[in-house]
Amino acid sequence: MDTLFFKAALAAYFLATAGYLVSLVARRVVMAKIATWVLGLAVALHAVHFLDMYTERGFNVAVNLFEAVSFFAWIVSGAYLAVQARTKTRVLGAIVAPFAVLLMMLASLGIEGTLAIPDALQGRLVPIHVTLSIIGEGLFALASLAGVMYCIQDRQIRRRRMGGLARYLPSLGDLDNINHTGLLWGFPLLTLGLIVGSVWAKTAWGGSNWAADPKTIWSFAVWCFYAFLLHQRLAIGWKGRKIAVLSIAALVVLISAFIGVNFLSSVHKFT
Amino acid sequence: MNVILVGMNHKTAPLELRERLSFSCGDVVRPLDELLRAPAVREALYLSTCNRVEVLARAEDMEEAIARVKSFILRHGNLGAAELEKCLYVYCGSDAVRHLFRVASSLDSMVMGEPQILGQVKEAYRDCVEQKASGIILNKLLHHAFRTAKRVRTETAVAGNAVSVSYAAVEMAKKILGSLEGRTVLLVGAGEMSELAARHLLNNGAGRIIVANRTYARAVQVAEEIHGVPVGFELLEEKLQEADIVISSTGAAGYILTPAMVQGALRRRKNRLLFLIDIAVPRDVDPAVGRIDNVYLFNIDDLQGVVDENVRNRLQEAEKAEGIIGEEVLRFAEWYNTLEVVPTIVSLREKAETILRAELERSGSWLRALGEEDRKNVEILATQIINKILHDPVTGLKEESQSNGAMPYVAAIRKLFRLEAAESPQDASPGDKPAEKETEPSEGY
Repeated sequence: MDTLFFKAALAAYFLATAGYLVSLVARRVVMAKIATWVLGLAVALHAVHFLDMYTERGFNVAVNLFEAVSFFAWIVSGAYLAVQARTKTRVLGAIVAPFAVLLMMLASLGIEGTLAIPDALQGRLVPIHVTLSIIGEGLFALASLAGVMYCIQDRQIRRRRMGGLARYLPSLGDLDNINHTGLLWGFPLLTLGLIVGSVWAKTAWGGSNWAADPKTIWSFAVWCFYAFLLHQRLAIGWKGRKIAVLSIAALVVLISAFIGVNFLSSVHKFT
Repeated sequence: MNVILVGMNHKTAPLELRERLSFSCGDVVRPLDELLRAPAVREALYLSTCNRVEVLARAEDMEEAIARVKSFILRHGNLGAAELEKCLYVYCGSDAVRHLFRVASSLDSMVMGEPQILGQVKEAYRDCVEQKASGIILNKLLHHAFRTAKRVRTETAVAGNAVSVSYAAVEMAKKILGSLEGRTVLLVGAGEMSELAARHLLNNGAGRIIVANRTYARAVQVAEEIHGVPVGFELLEEKLQEADIVISSTGAAGYILTPAMVQGALRRRKNRLLFLIDIAVPRDVDPAVGRIDNVYLFNIDDLQGVVDENVRNRLQEAEKAEGIIGEEVLRFAEWYNTLEVVPTIVSLREKAETILRAELERSGSWLRALGEEDRKNVEILATQIINKILHDPVTGLKEESQSNGAMPYVAAIRKLFRLEAAESPQDASPGDKPAEKETEPSEGY
């Protein structure tokens, strides 16, 4: 399998990260603008990579851990670009791009590995389950990253440090909106993904929609956590810092569910 | 460089004096006509704003021109000479260029980075062109000044952030709420500063203003002025729920907004972010309110802190701007210096050309014996020899012009080649009248 586009995308993510960091250090919005275009290039190259894989072996992307992680990075970056086109919160990229780089570096450890899909994960529903779940989780991750920046900006404003960083970070209102959007769209997608998964589980594991597997349990925990967040947001009216802090906690759970628990799982892990 | 600049600004002269001068010059006389009447002044620009009065001129004789400009100011300002000397600054050569660039870039302004000054300089230049008071030097100089100002504006942040308290409120509102589109502003009490801030907020997109006052009649009065909705004080808590930005400036002795009130309102408004500005002294809002989540409370000192921070930032940026101006002054000097040697180069070429024509004429008889083609070839050969010979002295002159030592070479070449010594290099330069290409003041800047 050709990984040229993957490597090119990784390089572009890296460049975008560097651009964002320089823009923060040098305090130049122009650099962030350029970095945003580079990030767009990275997402495009990455898309070509997926297309490449798709033509090679059909709709069976993201079934090993490394590809799933790379797909995750793509979703987070793509969603961020879509959001920033509307809100002009360019500097948020300074958190999104490094996050994508970390994921991509993790992905690159195994992107050239062989593709052995366990029997349980072979079936028409599996790619749908995986794709929907990862898109949902990607949007959640974006919501949480906005939360991280919200906490930084909130701190700057409350401590009256208006001269430095605060001047270049997005406004609290915009960050809160991104958090809202991420939760709002991520939730139905992940829900659908989990439902498809459980439908498939019934066929694959015979009879039950549910297997007491660490991965399943953690994924359900992630779903519950974000469901709670969304409920507090929409029904109770939690906003701002409280949600931002909880979003960060949720992201930690999400990452563990995604990567860490994979190694504990027996029947449901990526290869 | 034969450029001088004489003037006074808000730092050197009191308002009363600048006033007197700009009055008499603006309406009564046409200053440029009068300035140009002096033979020493070849081109002139007259800039008069509420913070400065300046005359920029290209001088034939610098001393003479400075004296003329000074007496011009003396006459119109009705000043004593001693008084005048105290307020005036005089710059010559590249210092004058630097000063002009600093003025155009708003580094010399009372509020550094304010945008009006560039427009005022452009206006002054337009007058100058209309009255045919500018020539090749001032045309080039002013366009260079506009370009420099543009560079400073785009490459530095001297005009970056708010430097007034009322505008700092707008800046903070944007930092906290994001877009101000459709936001509701609640004015509690009334005062000049809070009304000004409200106006700024409206201009930046805020949708609605509610004015609450202890005396309803006063609320109505203020609301009328800024197109707001007046309400009585008893509705304060209710309105707190609708507002995104609250500006409080009552004369009350105690706190008007307590944590309990704000917390209650916040619950009813589902925790939407609330920005409170307390510019009253003594304060209207209990400081404990500022510790509530999603509520951001700024008092007058906090806003002043934002302003101070911004001013510091502008000063830092100003250093960068000075660097840019230094570069541009050098660049202009480079252009100007070549100007000194250009007339000599032109007459050198002309002389060679004349010799060539004359020699071809003299050899006309045998040249005619040649075929058409050979005759052409002879001419080409002769021209090329001349060009080759002239190439080194011409480049040499251009190079020397940059190191300020060109005059001896110019003199030597003029003497050795017997170029007519009548004119000074400045006069021979192609533009005592405005050059076509450079006259248009609005040329894309």
